[in-house]
Parts: sequence; C-alpha cells; structure tokens
Amino acid sequence: MIARAARRRTATPPPAGGGPVPARPLPWLLPVLLFVGLFYLWPIVDALRLAFTDASLLDRDAAFSTEAIGAMLGSPALGTVLRNTAIFTLGSVVGQILLGLAIALLVVRGERNGLRGMLVMRTLVLAAWVIPGIANGIIWQMLFSEAPFGAINSALRLAGLPPVAWLSDPGNAMMSAIIATVWQGTAYSMILLYAALRSIDDTLYEAAAVDAATPWERFRFITLPELRGALLVNAILIVIMTLNTFDVIISLTGGGPGRATEVLALFTYNTVFYNFDLAGGSVLSILLMAISLALAALVAAFLPRAGRR
Amino acid sequence: MIQSRRSRWGNALTYAAAIPLAAFFLIPVIWLLSLALRTPAEVFLGAARLVPEEPTLANFRQVLTDGGFRLYLWNSVKLAFLGAAGAVACAAPASYAFSRMSFRGKPALMMGILAVQMVSGLVILIPLYRWMDRLGLLETHAGTTLLYVSAGIPVTVWLLKTTFDGVPRELEEAAAIDGLGRFETFLRITLPLAAPGVASALILNVILNWSQFLIPFVMLSETAKWPISVAIFNYAGATNATTTQLLAAACLVAVVPTLIIFVALQRLIVGALTAGAVKG
Amino acid sequence: MTRRLTASTLALALAGAPLLAQEDMVTRDRVGPADAENALTFRLTAYDLYSSDPATSAAFEELFVDFIEDNPGWRIDTQLQTGNLSQEQARMIEQAQAGRGPDCAMVDSAQLATYKAAGILSPMNEYFTEEEIADFFPYVRDGITDEDGNMLAVWWFTDLRVLYRNTEVVPEAPQTWDDLQAAALATVEQGYEGILFNGARGEGTTFDWLANYWALGGELVDEAGEPVFYEGENRELFLQAVRYYESLVDSGAAPARVTSIATYDDMLAAAAASTTAMFVGGNWMYAQLQTTLPEEEAAKWEASELPGPTAEQRATGTGGWTIAALTDDPEKVRMCAGIAKLYLGPGNAFQGLLPTQASLYDEYDTYAGPEFEVFSAALENGRARPGVAIYPEISNQIQILLGEVMSGAAEPEAALDAAAEAVEAAYARQ
Repeated sequence: MIARAARRRTATPPPAGGGPVPARPLPWLLPVLLFVGLFYLWPIVDALRLAFTDASLLDRDAAFSTEAIGAMLGSPALGTVLRNTAIFTLGSVVGQILLGLAIALLVVRGERNGLRGMLVMRTLVLAAWVIPGIANGIIWQMLFSEAPFGAINSALRLAGLPPVAWLSDPGNAMMSAIIATVWQGTAYSMILLYAALRSIDDTLYEAAAVDAATPWERFRFITLPELRGALLVNAILIVIMTLNTFDVIISLTGGGPGRATEVLALFTYNTVFYNFDLAGGSVLSILLMAISLALAALVAAFLPRAGRR
Repeated sequence: MIQSRRSRWGNALTYAAAIPLAAFFLIPVIWLLSLALRTPAEVFLGAARLVPEEPTLANFRQVLTDGGFRLYLWNSVKLAFLGAAGAVACAAPASYAFSRMSFRGKPALMMGILAVQMVSGLVILIPLYRWMDRLGLLETHAGTTLLYVSAGIPVTVWLLKTTFDGVPRELEEAAAIDGLGRFETFLRITLPLAAPGVASALILNVILNWSQFLIPFVMLSETAKWPISVAIFNYAGATNATTTQLLAAACLVAVVPTLIIFVALQRLIVGALTAGAVKG
Repeated sequence: MTRRLTASTLALALAGAPLLAQEDMVTRDRVGPADAENALTFRLTAYDLYSSDPATSAAFEELFVDFIEDNPGWRIDTQLQTGNLSQEQARMIEQAQAGRGPDCAMVDSAQLATYKAAGILSPMNEYFTEEEIADFFPYVRDGITDEDGNMLAVWWFTDLRVLYRNTEVVPEAPQTWDDLQAAALATVEQGYEGILFNGARGEGTTFDWLANYWALGGELVDEAGEPVFYEGENRELFLQAVRYYESLVDSGAAPARVTSIATYDDMLAAAAASTTAMFVGGNWMYAQLQTTLPEEEAAKWEASELPGPTAEQRATGTGGWTIAALTDDPEKVRMCAGIAKLYLGPGNAFQGLLPTQASLYDEYDTYAGPEFEVFSAALENGRARPGVAIYPEISNQIQILLGEVMSGAAEPEAALDAAAEAVEAAYARQ
C-alpha cells in the first residue's frame, strides 16, 4: 500500500523537459548572471591572478610568481589544518542535520497534534541563528570557561561532577567549537527540512495509517525518501557554509590551544591579516574552493536518484 | 480509542525529546539575558549569579538611549531588506527557468552558481574592494546592498528552484491554453502559488543579511552608515571599564527586531502552507 | 494580526532614524559645525570620545569642543574602529593605498611599523618643538621616528605588564621565576588557582611571555630586522623562557586553563571572584580593580615588577597607541598633531593612562598615586615589540608554540623548530 501510494505520486509529476513553449532561458537568467559575473567571477579571476603573483597587502605592485603556490601547499602546518577542517566540518554538518531534522520532525508532529510551545521551540532555535557569529563565540567562551566560576563547570561542580577542560584540552577544544557551531547553525537545517516536511503529501501518511504502519516504518518509507532532495541540498549548503566559517572559532579559541582548532578558513585569514600575504591567501582560498567543489560534487552525485522520484 | 491513547503517548514522547533540545538552545540565551541585567560588579560572579542580586535595566537604557544605536538599527533594516528583496527579485526568474526549462548547460550552470558560493569571502574581499572602488560604489549603502544581493543570490536560486519544482505544472499549462505568455504565467500563476517558499527565501535572506559583518565592515568606514552587526563591537572592550554586560544588552537589542519579524512572518508561512495551495 | 505586527515593527524602526538630526557640536560622526568649510577625517577607537562610560565621553567631548573653538572653520569627521586590530589594520592600509584612508588615525604602537613600511604617513616634526620631541621616552622616540629623523606619529600613551597579587595571600612580591612558582604553589595549597596569564591564541600571550625572554637577554630580530630568535644564543634563551612557562603549568603553579585565556578580562574576573591570588596584567588594570572590586577587596591588591630569571634580570613589554597623519595636506597634518596633543596631556591625565613624555608625570596630579611609582620604575626595563613587518607572524607562531607546549601537544624544541620554519618561510615571502 505504501509502495502503491509512492508510485502514484511518481506517476503524476512533471516530465523532465520543458513546457510546451520552446525554452529561451537567457532573459530569465540575465540578472543572476550579471550579479554573479560582476561580484563573484570578476573578483575570483582577480584572486586567481593574485595567486600567481607575489602580491602583498602592503604594496600594490605585484609581479608574476609561482612561489606562493609552492610555499602554501608545502607549508608544514597545512596537514594539521586540513585534518582539523575535516573533523570540524564533519562534526558540525552531521550535528546540524541531525538536530535540525529532529527539531523539524518534533515541531511538525507537535503542530499536527496541536501541542503547545512549538512556536516557542522554533523561535528559540532561530534566536541562536540571528546572534552574530562573533557574539556567539563570546557567549560560548563564557559558558565553557574553565575558571572555577565558569557557567557549565560551576554547574557540574554543583552536581558533584568533575569539571571538564572544554577549551584548554586540544581534543575537547574541537568538540566545543563544534557544539557552538551546531548551536548557531541548526536553525538553517531546521527551516529547510521543516518546509520540506510540511510539503509532504498528507495522503501518503493517510495511506500508511490504513496499512497500520509503525512510526518507524512511516519515517523510513515515507518521510526519509520524500526528504531526500531537501536533505541533500541542505547538506551541500551547510558543508559549504561550515568550510568557510571561522568567526565562531576565532572568538571562541582563536584556533588554539596551539593549532588544535585552526581550520583552513582561519588559516587563510591569518595568512592575509597577519602576514599581509595576499598571494598566499589567494592560493589557500582557491584550495578551499576546490575542496568545497569536490565535496559538493560528491554529495550531488546522490542527487539524480532523488530527482527520479 | 487506541489511536488516542497512542497519540497521548506520542505527545509525551514529543515533549520528552523537545524539552532537552529546547534547553540546549535556551540556556545560552538565558545566560546572555542574565549578563545584560547585571551590574559591572556582578558580571564576574559567574553562574552563581544566574539571577542577579541587583538586577538592573541600566545596560539596556544605555544602549537604547545611545543616539547612534537607533541609526545602526535603521541601517541594518534598510540594508537587510533591500538586499533580500534584490536577491529574491533577481533569483526568482532564474530559478523558474531552472525549474521549468531545459537547455544546454543547465546542470553545469546550476552547479556553477552554487560553486561561486564556495569562494571564501576573505580573499575575494580585497579584489572586490578594489573593484568597487573603481566602480565608485565604496562607502555607499547602494554598493553595500549590491553586495548583499550577490551574496544572497546563490542560495536563493537553489531554494526557489526547489519551491517552483513543488508547484504543479498543470495550472501553468491551463494558463498557457488561456493565452498567457510565459512571463505573465510566472508572475500571475506560479509566483502566487509559490508565495510561502518565496517568503521564506526572503526571510532567510533578511536574517543572513542582518548578521553580515565582513561586507559592511570593509565597504563602509563612516560610523553613521554602519549596520548594527558592525556597530555592536563598539561595546566590546574598553580600557577603563568592563563592558561585557553592555555587549550582552546590545546583542539582545540587535537580535529582537529580527525575531519579531520572523515570528510574525512565520505564521504567514505556516498559514499559507496549510491552506493547501501547494499540495500536489 | 500578523500584518499589524510587521507594520508596527517597521514604524518603530523608521521612527528611530531622524532622531539624530539635531544640530550638536559632537555627534556620532562629527565634532564641530556641520557646515564648516574644512573637514578632517579622524579614525579613533571607541574608548574615549565615544566611550560607553558617560564620564569619559563627556570629558573628551569638552576637550574636542575646546579644540574646535580654537580652530574656527574646521570640523572633524569621526570614524570609529572596532577592536579587531589586524582586520582594522588591513582595512586602513588598503584604504590609504586606494587614496580613501582617513586624514588622521589612531594606530596601535605595535602596528606602526607596518604603516611606516607602507609609506603612507606624513611627518609631524614642525608641529612639535625640539624640547617636546626630546621629552619623549627614548624607546618611544625610536619607535615613531624614521631613518631620516622624521617623526611619523605621536605615541601618546604607553602601557606595560606587571604582576598583580593579593597581598593577604602573597604578602611579599616575588622577584624571581622561582619565587613566583613557589608563591603560586603555596596559594594553590590554600585553594587558589595559582598564577594566571594569557596563554591562548592572541597577542596578549606573546606579549606577556616576551618579558621573560627579554629578561634573559634574548632578541626576536637582528639589527636588519631579520628573525633570529631560533638561532645561536637566542635559541637556548628562548627555550629557557618556554620551559619556565611549561614548568609553571606542569607543576600546577598555573592552571591548565591558561591556554584558554585570551584577554585580561579573564584575569580581572578571577580576581573579582577571588579564585586567584596572582596574575600578570596591564598597568591599566589597577584602575579596573578599583572600580570592579568592593573597596576593601581592591585595597588588598598590589602591583609589582614582573619577576625575572634572577632579581637583577628584568623586562616588561610596553605597548600603547599612536596618532598618525595619513594625509599630505599640511593644514590637516597640523590639525592631526593638535588632536594628538589633546590625548597626550589632558586626555591621558583623565584616563590615568601612562603618558610617553617624562614631564607630564609632574604636570598632572593623576600621577601622584603609589602605583605610578611602581609603573615608572618598571618602565625603566620597558621593551617595545620590534617594529618590523614580520612581527605579527612571529607573534602568531609564538602563540601556537606556547599553546602546544603548555597543553602537552609538543616538546619545546620541536615546537620551536616548527615556528622557525614557518617564520622563515613567511619572511622569505615578504
């Protein structure tokens, strides 16, 4: 029955091609192309050009050079930084998607059953999101503070538990950075998944109810497949945002202790703003772009299957 | 009967899961509020003074009576809304084309638009600064808005494409039979049907724009033109006094307007969703 | 309902806008009449004229209004800078090179070298007498003067790091590293945290620690400005100073959390909460302790010179801010020098900051307190950070190195080798 309901749905929707009118997309795309060209492509071309120079913030004359590329890619710190980036991105993205999905499911269920407090829940998650990134870092720094009067640690002590070295232990520091990032970023996943959940056809669930499907079966055979597209788009967007994020880290740990939480975006920032090394920074940002592209392509490889529905 | 007992259990479980999650999101905000209500002397007393012994509204008063603060708020409203409206206006036709038309290079173009999002703002910022200088747009809200628009475009294109995908074509085909042109169909049929999606894209943009820091920071050096996201850091740090409590109050004041707008518009979205226009 | 809410929100926001319109001598973005024929743009920090402390901003408003009355026909267009120093610096240099920088600006003394190297500052010599220039402390004069004797900025206040202690717990000021460690361990036994200092990623970490390296006689760069801290004699001294920090943490004299301390506010918090009996802090914190702590608590705290490897080997890092002219227009340079003088004398006296001219200490009553005797004695051993463009990266590497060593992630030798490699690579690219 569930299967039939799903099939019925696949039968109606659109043929993959265009409508009856022959497609002339250019006028439709023009505004976007103009903006992207002027404010993205042009600066990117310029950044690419800078990567092949010895440009510095301190003087405007730059000569051709491939030294920056060698120096940046050969930097002994790069390995650590890439490993940090991988852990940070994986942890933050998985955390944001799981929490975002959980909250969206709860809120949708709550609203269907007329439970109170769902608007409050949604608003709370959103409140975290609209707090500026640097302020977010400051708040969590106070919460994680390891001083005897630090918020979480003093609460732990009241509960008779030992304090935790949230920020001074290299391993914990990364976990703390991920928690703060997830706290702030979950709202984005929640909104996307919430909208997707709300647009799932009710008749699918009605059919499932007739079949007496368990909640798990409903989730596994209706909700998840229907959410697949939204989940993948969401994943791509969050991966990109997380890779480029450093404002929370910069105010929470500054990348420390040592280099324990220094991610590629922060490393790039330091290269430009401590070393004034515009060429090196350009090389690193292009590396960042390449990694984002590769990851997005990897996630997108799952998209066609979702699109078939 | 069985149904209702089951759903009562389900409701209990929903709350059991929702409460710890809500706590996770609530506690830092409560902490912020607690700090904002403290006197400088109590700021350093930590969790022991979660409820301040001498709560004070002086911090809020100081932030709100600061003439500059209202100006910063106004700048933020202006930049965030104009930028969001611009991004949605530019992205909507493109998303429609991506959703409804098939043409050569479409997948590549879509990935390309997403790819530009992957460029770290850090480094294109300096080429961008020099470029905006040449265009004569530095130090203006117009130039800053243009950058907000372009920052919002990639995500908006993707969001709206997903939205348009969900709008049934049958209605458009009917309109075409009635002799409506493609653009008119888009404006009069598709866009109203996709209103909830468009609204959420708009709000998403407003919120993302509200916390923009790097763009206005680099584009605008005159304090009077700053949005609140940049100005807020004036309350962080001073040589002769502690300002944590002021920063906390400023953060809350900065966040409240977006929250009000969001809560207000969120009902609109939910209402439109449940009205059933979108159901396919 | 919904629409009404939205509309009222917007109305609220709109109503806020015109409130600034009144004609005032000091507004958020200018000092002086709006229609003055000459305008000078001045980029300043948020600590004085626009301080969140009403008394401070009122005092500076008065100074500025008097200044504008003495210079009729002028208006100062003010621009605030945020506390993010490295971003502000990059922005200002980029703007100056595009010809859009401010005419006059506050520049952190540690960053002045970068501005000098970028060649964007105008000399101010003609607006100061020879005596006034000679009155600056020698290291200050060196810092603001170029090879040709041009005075490129006014370094209007300096600061230094000292050791603060709660005299009830630690009656005698520790004089040597060993004294300090022993005293800190004694306080730990009484339930205190021991000694606190900056150890996270941040300039404060390098700056606090450099005093120890300088006390040993180490140098970061040679005469030519080339990094040398990892070579020859310096290498051993450097490792010695790193091991001092390492042993403070390993012995428990300092808590492991120092690697998460990035601002002096954390020290102040620990003092206010009475969890620590000693910390390394800036001279300005003396006044903060007085305003933050209850009177009888504040009275327990005293400052003393930072301990050295021996009682005779001492050093302390000195910083502070400068005001420099980025314009070529001589009239504007004159105005900029005038503003700098406001800060140098009366501005400092009001804020209790340390002026950079010896005579000012006698001129103002502010400097009569006993703490200023400690500060001026310690200033004798003051060292400024080297004025070279590679310094920010050296500092960055020292922060990484200290964090790794103190959190047990690396041994001092290996960490120093890594730092040396990174600094050499960056230096080669400059």
